[in-house]
Amino acid sequence: MKVINFFKQRYVYFAISICIILTGVVFAMVNGIKLDIQFQGGSILKYTYVGTIDSEEAGNLVETALGKTTNAQEQTTVAKDEQMLLISLADNEAITSQQQQTVTSTLTAAYPDANLTLAESLSVQPFTGARFFRNGIIAIFLSFGLILLYVGYRFKKIGGFSAGFMAIVALFHDAFGGTAVFIIFKIPLNDSFIAAVLTIIGFSINDTIVIYDRIRENKTLMGPKTTTEELVNTSITQSMSRSINTNIAVFLSITIVYIFAQVYNIESIKDFALPMMFGTVSGCYSTICIAGPLWTMWKNHQAKSGLKKA
Amino acid sequence: MKSKSKSTFFVVVLITAALAYVAFYGLHLGSINIKGANEMRYGIDIRGGVSATYTPKDLNRAPTAAELASARTIIETRMDAQNITDREITVDDTNGAILVRFPWKSDEANFDPQAAISELGETALLTFRDPDGNVVLEGADVKTSYASYDQTNASYVVVLELTDTGSTKFSEATKSLVGKVLAIYMDDTEISSPTVEEQISGGIATITNQESLATAKDLSDKINSSALPFSMIANDANIISPTLGSDAPAIMVLAGEIAFALVCLFMLFYYRLPGLVACVALSLQVVGQLLALSVPQFTLTLPGIAGVILSIGMGVDANVIVSERIKEELNSGKTLRSAIEAGFHRAFSSVFDGNITVIIVSIVLIIFGSGSMLSFGYTLLCGVLMNFIAGVTASRLMISSLACYKPLQKPYLFGARRIAG
Repeated sequence: MKVINFFKQRYVYFAISICIILTGVVFAMVNGIKLDIQFQGGSILKYTYVGTIDSEEAGNLVETALGKTTNAQEQTTVAKDEQMLLISLADNEAITSQQQQTVTSTLTAAYPDANLTLAESLSVQPFTGARFFRNGIIAIFLSFGLILLYVGYRFKKIGGFSAGFMAIVALFHDAFGGTAVFIIFKIPLNDSFIAAVLTIIGFSINDTIVIYDRIRENKTLMGPKTTTEELVNTSITQSMSRSINTNIAVFLSITIVYIFAQVYNIESIKDFALPMMFGTVSGCYSTICIAGPLWTMWKNHQAKSGLKKA
Repeated sequence: MKSKSKSTFFVVVLITAALAYVAFYGLHLGSINIKGANEMRYGIDIRGGVSATYTPKDLNRAPTAAELASARTIIETRMDAQNITDREITVDDTNGAILVRFPWKSDEANFDPQAAISELGETALLTFRDPDGNVVLEGADVKTSYASYDQTNASYVVVLELTDTGSTKFSEATKSLVGKVLAIYMDDTEISSPTVEEQISGGIATITNQESLATAKDLSDKINSSALPFSMIANDANIISPTLGSDAPAIMVLAGEIAFALVCLFMLFYYRLPGLVACVALSLQVVGQLLALSVPQFTLTLPGIAGVILSIGMGVDANVIVSERIKEELNSGKTLRSAIEAGFHRAFSSVFDGNITVIIVSIVLIIFGSGSMLSFGYTLLCGVLMNFIAGVTASRLMISSLACYKPLQKPYLFGARRIAG
């Protein structure tokens, strides 16, 4: 098998990754990062209806009844051919079920023929939302920490800490990639976001570990004379077909889920599957093109400074 | 030894088929009662329902644990009255809140979830009524109530301490009601119907013959609920109409089946015999996951279904790594038997380390996640654990057993160039 020199092309890969991350940052500045009311707090009510409703008028009616700034929007779902009226309250305010009843009665009184039916409502107090968000972020960083410890311990043979650290760099890369998808597609960050990022992390670390495992094994097989560059290139090349096949299978599964969720408009799954699709690809890429070469550079640097000292 | 292990493949296939039958259709044998896939407990995001967090209204201190227990009994009694039995009520003492979740069944067209949430949190109206329905005593007349043990009669009792006006009213009422029933109502639900044994004038009444300490405590909690100095409101609430999510599980299951079939085809096409083994192992893994959900009746949400589909991907990885390794070992000139041994041996460390890290992530998710994240973490954890059993152990047994058959010892069945003799 011909060994592919991944290390040689490293700056091209680094440039690609930096471009992707920068795109995410630019979009974040342009679009802003939107937290879903699950995390930010607030209230949203969705009604299905028939006929026509002037959403601006409906919004004004609710605003007068509640005495709170209200925003109303119309929405049509393609698959189900339903019309929806979305009532959301500004200023992240959560309303009680009593106030929700007021909204419903105001609207049904104003549009008696529209057959308004409550389809969904979500009301979250800002501090509850903040707590959920905090827990989610803690979960992500705690996972990072535990993975670093575990990889450091299991891969002592190839310099545990440096291996663990580079794995985390790759994880950040993929977590950013996943987040960028949310930002670019303007999906508000909700608990699908936390679940998606954590799954991407899980997959990415799995990919990295498979390569590290090969490096660990080859280090013994290829002997001490082999350069780090050779060792890493050989290991990555040997696991190439596994990396590709596994990712084809995973990508295929997620894509099918996404297509179904998209066609039938299952929002929670859709929001989750799309970032996952990009995440699996990113996880595979970051292992081969980022973690491996970075780790090689680290090792080479160590070797050089070691030589100088000696 | 050889003939014994030869049939292992078929044993594993049979076990998988049997477990699959149980997972889909359930098992009802004597005391064993496993619910099938159609009786799976779905989250409100799938079947529609209400999730509300109640906190005290206009209370400028944290509610005590006793107050929360009382508030809980109010909610429970009211849900009983409405015949909502399939519910989850959790008291969160640290945050002074009560979490209520219940499904909104699609046949309840007139159900008003917003009103239901409001009503559950209202202050309870406690009344004592004579057999004619006249109110003789109200909740405000009861100072406090607690469960106790009556030494002389050796039974559990509920003690009621009445206020001054309460004792006067009670004394008068019990005088004419000796031998008759004095029923206690919360709102319009009868919670107890004790018989008056004698006139009670001391301001302390006992309801005797309680079954256990728990039932006595339950009744005293209910009686105390009227003395609750606050009503409960739900600022955090989520309502999902059953029509919105009703198709979702069927669609997700279909998506899962198609994804599964495609992955199996891919494995069969690319890895041949090890691919076939991988398909059986994956089926075993998914079946195990379904059982892990249906046996403890764990609530499955939409992200949970995504977790199942995702761990299929993880399962594929283990099988891909093993199949690739066997192919490599064969190409390096090993015999079939030693190639399989070496393939599994070498693949194990990477599958092990990969799975452990995903287990770490899923446990973190279970600890910190709420609702949908929890469901996702749980299905992922079960999937990865099953992967150890199915993708590592069962796969190894199956390939070793199939390799015993002469007609199957062909290089192309393993995707290899040759098999050393």
